[in-house]
Amino acid sequence: MMNIKIRFKGTYLGFAWAAIEPALTFILLYIVFTSIRSRTEENFAIYLLTGIMIYHIFSRGTLGGITSLTGNRGILQSVKINKEFFPVVSVAATCLLIFIEVGVFFGLMPFFNFIPNWTIVFLPLVLALLVILILGLSYILSVLHVFVKDIQMLWGILIHALFFITPIIWYVKDVSGILLAIHKINPVGHIVELAHKIVVFREVPVLSEWLYALAFSIGIFFVGFMIFIKFQERIVEEI
Amino acid sequence: MEEYSVVVQNLSKFFKSSSIKNLNSKFKQKGILALDDISVKVKKGQMLAIIGFNGSGKTTLLRTIAGIYEPDMGSIEVNGRIAPILQIGTGFHLELNAKENIMNYGLLIGIPKKELKSKIDNIIEFAELGEFSELKLKYYSAGMRARLAFSSALQIDADILLVDEILAVGDRIFREKSFEAFSDFIKKGKTILYTTHSLDKIYDMADQVLLLNHGKKIMIGSPNEVIDEYRKMTKD
Repeated sequence: MMNIKIRFKGTYLGFAWAAIEPALTFILLYIVFTSIRSRTEENFAIYLLTGIMIYHIFSRGTLGGITSLTGNRGILQSVKINKEFFPVVSVAATCLLIFIEVGVFFGLMPFFNFIPNWTIVFLPLVLALLVILILGLSYILSVLHVFVKDIQMLWGILIHALFFITPIIWYVKDVSGILLAIHKINPVGHIVELAHKIVVFREVPVLSEWLYALAFSIGIFFVGFMIFIKFQERIVEEI
Repeated sequence: MEEYSVVVQNLSKFFKSSSIKNLNSKFKQKGILALDDISVKVKKGQMLAIIGFNGSGKTTLLRTIAGIYEPDMGSIEVNGRIAPILQIGTGFHLELNAKENIMNYGLLIGIPKKELKSKIDNIIEFAELGEFSELKLKYYSAGMRARLAFSSALQIDADILLVDEILAVGDRIFREKSFEAFSDFIKKGKTILYTTHSLDKIYDMADQVLLLNHGKKIMIGSPNEVIDEYRKMTKD
């Protein structure tokens, strides 16, 4: 809780920034794409918005996760404390962000005459997969950042690249070759696709699609947690 | 063992050198032995002062006793609740005010919320922050932050205080007051481990003094003999 409070303290619009950032990205991209294309796919706006929302939660979540240990250097060096707790706090802050972003998401729908159908009840499940993925990566990234500071720059670049290799501004059916190959192993891409299906295409993803995304999230979570446990004794001295 | 609140046996702590070059030297692990085979026992109701030059291992010893660092060798036994006051104001958030920080800090060291709430006024009063208590910590001087840290740890019902040269930045009045608080604390049968560079006070306050140099125990004993030894070292 403190994390969130501190992040927005001293800003005039406070929590509203969590909503403004993705909304502005969306408006900008929507204007650009409707200008360069004579006609767009049905419900392109909602397609774009869904992708941006998931991507934004992921990028904010993992970027916050990276510094969840290093940003609390003082606390770690002055009291004995469970270190596993720090990435979790950072992800809890991300969960609050999710509420705000989902609010914006539904708030913008009427402007495009979009009414979701019942399949949207799966949205919490998709977001849960996203949260597990973010937590797993936060474990890996936070502990790496203690030992190798470069990871923050590197992740910034990867996050930037992720925007283009994830189906946000393009449709999976339209791509082939390298981009499709990358998409197949991109866990965020799979989560975005699940969201597209239940929101925009109004269908229920088949079980294998769920399992694929679940395996990615849980797999990364366990690997992340193991790495964290392995290195945790040395965190405080190296920080 | 119950009469002791802290028992440290053959404790060693090694810090690796972080230079990448050293990764090649497989056989010689380069680095520093921050603590080299330290053994010390502190009885309940006593104060142990730890003295030595900068970098002699004082803070590392306190941090390892507090459980912040894991010992590489040896063992540490602690009987009772520890309140660490290590480094000035770390663990505090500069964007929060004194009250919010007390709550935050207290919860971190494991004090129940209810207990904290009932003590918050005492803490502010002891720290003599008065009108500053509503102010964000970024406007505080180092001395004021130290007061807040010290008062928080003191009011929390701990059995063992670990104090790392925190009073050096406090003004004279606050230091006097802190030493009185130390005496009361000791009288209650509790224990204090205190690192310092100001030697005069520990003559009459400390029961034992531990002198460290380059991570090694040089001497442990009564304040008079150990401080004499330290003064000799300073002259060399």
